[in-house]
Amino acid sequence: MILKTKQLSKSFGGLKAINKVDFELPKNEIRGIIGPNGSGKSTFFNLVSGIYDSDPGSYIEFDGHDITFTPPHEIASYGLSRTFQLLRLYQDMTVIDNVMSGYHTRVPYKFFDAVIGRKKIWDQERAIKEEMMELLSFVGLADYAELNASELSGGQRRLLVLARAIAMKPKLLMLDEPAAGLSPVNVDNLMKIIMQLKEKYGLTLIIIEHILKVVMDTCNSVTVFDHGQKIAEGTPAQVKDDNAVIEAYLGKKMDDEEMRKALAV
Amino acid sequence: MEKLKSIIRDYPFIAFIIAFIILAFVPSVVFTDVYQSHLATLIFVNIVVAAGLNIVKGYCGQVTVGHVGLFAVGSYTAGTLFLYLGLGFWATLPIAIIVTAFFGVAMGIPSFRLEGPYLALATLGGGEAIRLFIENGNFFRSTFGISDIPTPSLMGYNFDSPDRYYFISMTIMIIAVYFSFSILRSGVGRAFMSIREDPICAAAAGINVKKYKILAFILSAMFAGAAGAVYAHMPPGYIHPNNYTVIEMVTFLAMVVLGGLGHIWGGIIGAIVITIVYDLTRPLYKYQLLIFGLTIVLTILFMPKGLGGFIDRYFLEKRFKKKTGTEKTT
Repeated sequence: MILKTKQLSKSFGGLKAINKVDFELPKNEIRGIIGPNGSGKSTFFNLVSGIYDSDPGSYIEFDGHDITFTPPHEIASYGLSRTFQLLRLYQDMTVIDNVMSGYHTRVPYKFFDAVIGRKKIWDQERAIKEEMMELLSFVGLADYAELNASELSGGQRRLLVLARAIAMKPKLLMLDEPAAGLSPVNVDNLMKIIMQLKEKYGLTLIIIEHILKVVMDTCNSVTVFDHGQKIAEGTPAQVKDDNAVIEAYLGKKMDDEEMRKALAV
Repeated sequence: MEKLKSIIRDYPFIAFIIAFIILAFVPSVVFTDVYQSHLATLIFVNIVVAAGLNIVKGYCGQVTVGHVGLFAVGSYTAGTLFLYLGLGFWATLPIAIIVTAFFGVAMGIPSFRLEGPYLALATLGGGEAIRLFIENGNFFRSTFGISDIPTPSLMGYNFDSPDRYYFISMTIMIIAVYFSFSILRSGVGRAFMSIREDPICAAAAGINVKKYKILAFILSAMFAGAAGAVYAHMPPGYIHPNNYTVIEMVTFLAMVVLGGLGHIWGGIIGAIVITIVYDLTRPLYKYQLLIFGLTIVLTILFMPKGLGGFIDRYFLEKRFKKKTGTEKTT
């Protein structure tokens, strides 16, 4: 198990955004998370990556480390990387700097060496830059390396955020709606890149996504959230036929009589 | 030429040694009177302060308006150490840097919880408090100021006039700029920038936000402390609380903004331009604040990345066009 949560809870005032979720994820799996808006998917990500503190009694374990109350930068240094639904791109930095800042946990030199400005540092910096340029050309952004991130198009931004999250060579990559707002062709392209990256770096993936085709086609298993609780878990085929999931998220098939009633109101 | 380029790329300090040699010949070749040396020293002091301010404001994005207070701490550490212990420049400079670094920590702690204009207010209060503390304290000679602070001497040679002190200030400036370059070009500079752009995402990418924020404040405080000590020992060696008011802070800010926030050359270009303009507009002293206020506003409106960003942009667009054959319109 690379990620394990026990009794994970988080409440905002009276609202239980996440309510006693037990979650287990084996290595090398691609797990999809689906659920209606406000069901706690993103909150789950924020709890695991340490952006929010979870409520007392919760337990999160990542790759053998207890990370329940660990600050986010330490969790990242254990090899957990994530993207955000609202991207959180570094708008005013160049594309290559964006990706290189994702490299932070792997920077090999000490601060003091950087102040002195030893030759070693510049050699290492060049090596990092080369590696990151390779990553950029892999996702197809090499030509834009020196432009500001704010000048990229929506689809390119999604790719850049992905590249930035990969830069730290994570063990677990958590993607929060990676394909939101992309055209069908771009979605296919993005998913192809994600799958290639998974093979290349041996990643374990968690993907929140509303495009069901993506979830059903790529994920090994799916977890469904509703009202802060895990209501179903299993292979895509199992989840698709689960009554609770149909009720909460997929929507049930109406017969003609019901349809007529619904439209009349 | 190519070979020289690659040598400088590996050993950047060689470029700074070349700059040192060139600047060393400037007084005897270019300057016509002593006043110009004095002005050059002021420019160098301002470059050191602005380079430090660029770290914390331009790169790390923490809006600090109390930086002049740290500059004052540097000056008055040097001044009081001379006054009570009789120490000279070579002892007061490192002590001033260390003491100011501690004040930098105090100035930086509010940044854990405050952002933007609120942090600006807190640091403004900090800076003014330091000045008022000095102005009302007999220990610091209050409004009389500390006078006759000696100029440094090295191996029997006394840098006692502006054209000789030029070499001291120039050396300190070159060293400070070298440090700021190597810090900002390394991963540390990138960490600062990502905190400026998005602290939450920076944390998720493995950057210890609090540590780097306080580091930025300490580094910039050390620059301000060094500049303050150099300023205190500058002939005629007189410091007065009125040299550290909000007005000075506005000129420091104007330097960084005009040069380009978050541009590696930003503070340096700005310090040169603003100090010269400040000197030329001395007869219009009533309108100086108006001029600098307008400079800040107009620069932010029409050149948000300052002179440095403007120049960069020009070359970037050329390169991009050459590489892809398309015009980048935005």
